[in-house]
Amino acid sequence: MIQITDLEKFYKTEEVQTIALNKLSFNVKEGEFVAIMGPSGCGKSTLLNILGLLDDPDGGSFMFNGTEVAGYNERKRSELRKHNIGFVFQSFNLIDELTVFENVELPLIYTGVKPVERKKQVEAVLEKMQIMHRRNHFPQQLSGGQQQRVAVARAVVNNPKLILADEPTGNLDSTNGNEVMDLLIDLNEAGTTIIMVTHSEHDAKYSHRIIRMLDGQKVTENILA
Amino acid sequence: MFLNYIKIAFRTLLKNKGYSFLNIFGLAIGITCASLIFLWVEDELSFNKNFDKQDQVYYVPTNQNYEGEWRTFYSTPGPLAQDMLNDIPGIVKATRSSLEERLFVVGDNSITRSGRYADADFLEIFSLKFVEGNREDAFVNPEAIVLTQETAEQLFGKDEKALGKVVRVSNKDNYLVTGVIENLPNNVSFPFNWVAPFERYRDGAEWMTEYGSNFSDTFVELAPEANFETVDTQVRALIGTKEENTDDYAFLHTIKDWHLRSKFEGGEIVGGRITYVRLFTIIAFVILLIACINFMNLSTARSEKRANEVGVRKAMGSGRGRLITQFISEALILSIIATVFSVVMLAILLPQFNLIIDKNLTLGLANPMHILSLITVAIVCGLLAGLYPAFYLSSFKPVEVLKGLKVTEGSATLIRKGLVVGQFTISIVFIIVTILVYQQIQFAKNRDLGYNKDQLLSMRIDLDFIPKFNVVQQELIRTGSVDNATLCNSSLLSGGNNGSGFSWKGGTDTEDVLISFRNVTQSFFDTTGMEIIEGRGFSETVEADSTSVLISESLAKMMGNESPIGNIISRGDDVLEVVGVVKDYVYGDMFDASDPVLFMHFPSYTRYMFIKTKAGVPINEALSDIEAVMKTHNPAFPFEYSFIDEAFNEKFKNEQLVGELSQIFAILAILISCLGLFGLAAYTAQQRRKEIGVRKVLGASVSGIVKLLSQDFLKLVLISIVLAIPIAWYFMQDWLQDYAYRIEINWWVFIIAGVVAILIAMVTVSFQAIKAAIANPADSLKTE
Repeated sequence: MIQITDLEKFYKTEEVQTIALNKLSFNVKEGEFVAIMGPSGCGKSTLLNILGLLDDPDGGSFMFNGTEVAGYNERKRSELRKHNIGFVFQSFNLIDELTVFENVELPLIYTGVKPVERKKQVEAVLEKMQIMHRRNHFPQQLSGGQQQRVAVARAVVNNPKLILADEPTGNLDSTNGNEVMDLLIDLNEAGTTIIMVTHSEHDAKYSHRIIRMLDGQKVTENILA
Repeated sequence: MFLNYIKIAFRTLLKNKGYSFLNIFGLAIGITCASLIFLWVEDELSFNKNFDKQDQVYYVPTNQNYEGEWRTFYSTPGPLAQDMLNDIPGIVKATRSSLEERLFVVGDNSITRSGRYADADFLEIFSLKFVEGNREDAFVNPEAIVLTQETAEQLFGKDEKALGKVVRVSNKDNYLVTGVIENLPNNVSFPFNWVAPFERYRDGAEWMTEYGSNFSDTFVELAPEANFETVDTQVRALIGTKEENTDDYAFLHTIKDWHLRSKFEGGEIVGGRITYVRLFTIIAFVILLIACINFMNLSTARSEKRANEVGVRKAMGSGRGRLITQFISEALILSIIATVFSVVMLAILLPQFNLIIDKNLTLGLANPMHILSLITVAIVCGLLAGLYPAFYLSSFKPVEVLKGLKVTEGSATLIRKGLVVGQFTISIVFIIVTILVYQQIQFAKNRDLGYNKDQLLSMRIDLDFIPKFNVVQQELIRTGSVDNATLCNSSLLSGGNNGSGFSWKGGTDTEDVLISFRNVTQSFFDTTGMEIIEGRGFSETVEADSTSVLISESLAKMMGNESPIGNIISRGDDVLEVVGVVKDYVYGDMFDASDPVLFMHFPSYTRYMFIKTKAGVPINEALSDIEAVMKTHNPAFPFEYSFIDEAFNEKFKNEQLVGELSQIFAILAILISCLGLFGLAAYTAQQRRKEIGVRKVLGASVSGIVKLLSQDFLKLVLISIVLAIPIAWYFMQDWLQDYAYRIEINWWVFIIAGVVAILIAMVTVSFQAIKAAIANPADSLKTE
């Protein structure tokens, strides 16, 4: 599904150039659950942003479902993103002014799904995430675990082929963290590809494969049983 | 999708109540202020529009040359109208007309009303709409009079028909009502309450039928197919073919320009009220702009709060276009709410505004144009205010904002500062303008008028009253409430009669000098307080001084350095001896030097009585004493009077209007700017919370923090002052050029305006700065 080859990303300030990704290459197959680990500043999040088409690489190739997407402009990236990719962030990134239902509904609005159909899909996913009873609440009225559940619901409501999770349990206690990880496992078992950036060895064990990074490069790659 | 925008907009609005209040209130004040101006402008532009023949009706003023300078007068020679009709094919109707005030009596009912003596064509030219009688027959009877509905109702009662009834005029003539016309609307530049045939105006004296004496207005109607240039050229040539040795000429002045473009200089139109209409229209837009700037500033200042939402929406697949639409929709919703509020504010403020501008404007919400205008204002404001923030906010990169990176605000900060400078520059200009206009009005009001306007009453009198004057004067003085009384042929403040063709011993080219003449009684100088600086006043008896004149100081100067006493002034067969010189006095334009004056002891043709009441006598007491005397000697006439000092204040109406409006605009501009500044200061304080916390932990004092937060804003206000001074100086220098008698612009005016602006800005900012400075640093550091 994803093939990246010699991927490069630099950050430049006036005087210094920092290499965030240094000729990084790996593949992810459809249905896989991959964890990416490494110390702060190793390039994990940069990689996730590029994989999520939120950012452009400065060099190398990025094939998504057999198509080179590295040179895509904002409009094309946005198009590809909204149909194929769901995001789960460490800080949930729910919109405070929208209710649970409306937050989850958002990706469907952007993909042009009709209101009746939207309602059906949102309710289905809220049921699945066991958060239906909170559908009319605003994010500030929910616990961290509940908020992340909503964020996961929002990420999957569009049935994306790929979910990118950036430290999804980073802001949660262990009970809530485990619940979120169980949700991701369920989604993966249902066929969704998941790439997760994490600092947590515990969370990484839920994945099929762990890629460890350092200074923008892949250091090791462990396949878990 | 749009519903989603509205939902978000309302929730954002409710969640940030303070911010929403600042934005909506600021915008509502701006829209209210602009709407008031637009209502005024609409009224000004609507003048005379109710007359049907907009493209065909013209005033015919004359240009006359005095001492090398062309001056424009509305009074024209009597035969001009008829000659234009006879000699110029493009002119199909013409009328003479003279505005007069007359006493009307029907039974016990007596009222004084102004109206016009005119020829029959007057009714046609102005398409007067008859509710009783008809236009064609109205002036067939030489004793006819046509009344407006209101005048007819006042004389004959609401349910009575006036047609065919007789009304007694000036207690000596009977007029037959031959028609009743619809009332004229308020927006007519020459209102009248009645029209009567011109033949009854005066006794048909010879001078009224000759060229050389200008006394009546002339109006004409051009044929629909007539070419203006051709007709105007013919009109300009006409007087020259009728009168020898004159360079006077008449010209056409379209009805469309009567109200707004009727200021003449050098014989040409140079403007008029249109200047104020343009000026205030610009001000309306400027005020709206200031209000919109608030919105832009507060929206971009809050960008960090919205950045996360932008990032999430983009990550979810929203394109930039959608975000722009969303933010503009929010601005539009806000501006619509502000517009609704402003309608409420308008309803509350309009009566006060009407008092200031002396009009009767209405909100007119049933008028589709008004509704359309409000919608347009709401949309324009929404777009203007929302466009920049929309483009700015939607440009955030999701990668950066989702990671919680600080939004780099380089250009936005600069633009925001620029906008604050813009707002304050405008506010300071308004402050300077307000001070200077006030100074100019006070300067003219306090100038030495050459007479004492206080406790001086003016009354119109009829010719029949003149023989009774001496007795009335003595009785008035005997009441103990009156110092003295006098008669004069014109009001004290207006131009009155004038003429040229005078000559005197030792004078050259004197024929060209335009001199005003006043027919007065012996007590004139004593009553008005005018000072005789040389020679003597008039004798008790008219006969003793029938050929004596007093002249004004400026005329004396024209006559040379030697004493003018004993000099002879002659015009035609009249030979007049100068017996005294009167200190110059101000009449006509209160901001200009007045033409020279010649006073004659000639009560026969006087039309006004001036009464000086005694100092210390309560005015009500004095008035009742005067009324008693007048009722005894002039029983047929209602006791109607005016105070000269009130009429004097009326003369400053335009300047007073500019002064009061600029004061209001200054206050509003500052208020709106301060709302914006208050919001900005709040956000700056919030943004710098951590910095303030760290500084306090390291030992910074409260005053040090307040200074830190205030100084950035102080710099902006200082830049505004530097920008505002030359702008205000340029505009006011230009404005003052219109006044011959004007103030010098003093540097301290700029200092005052600057200090006021700084004080207001600092009070606004320091509230937020102090709040931030006294906050517990533990709270701000903990959250990081």
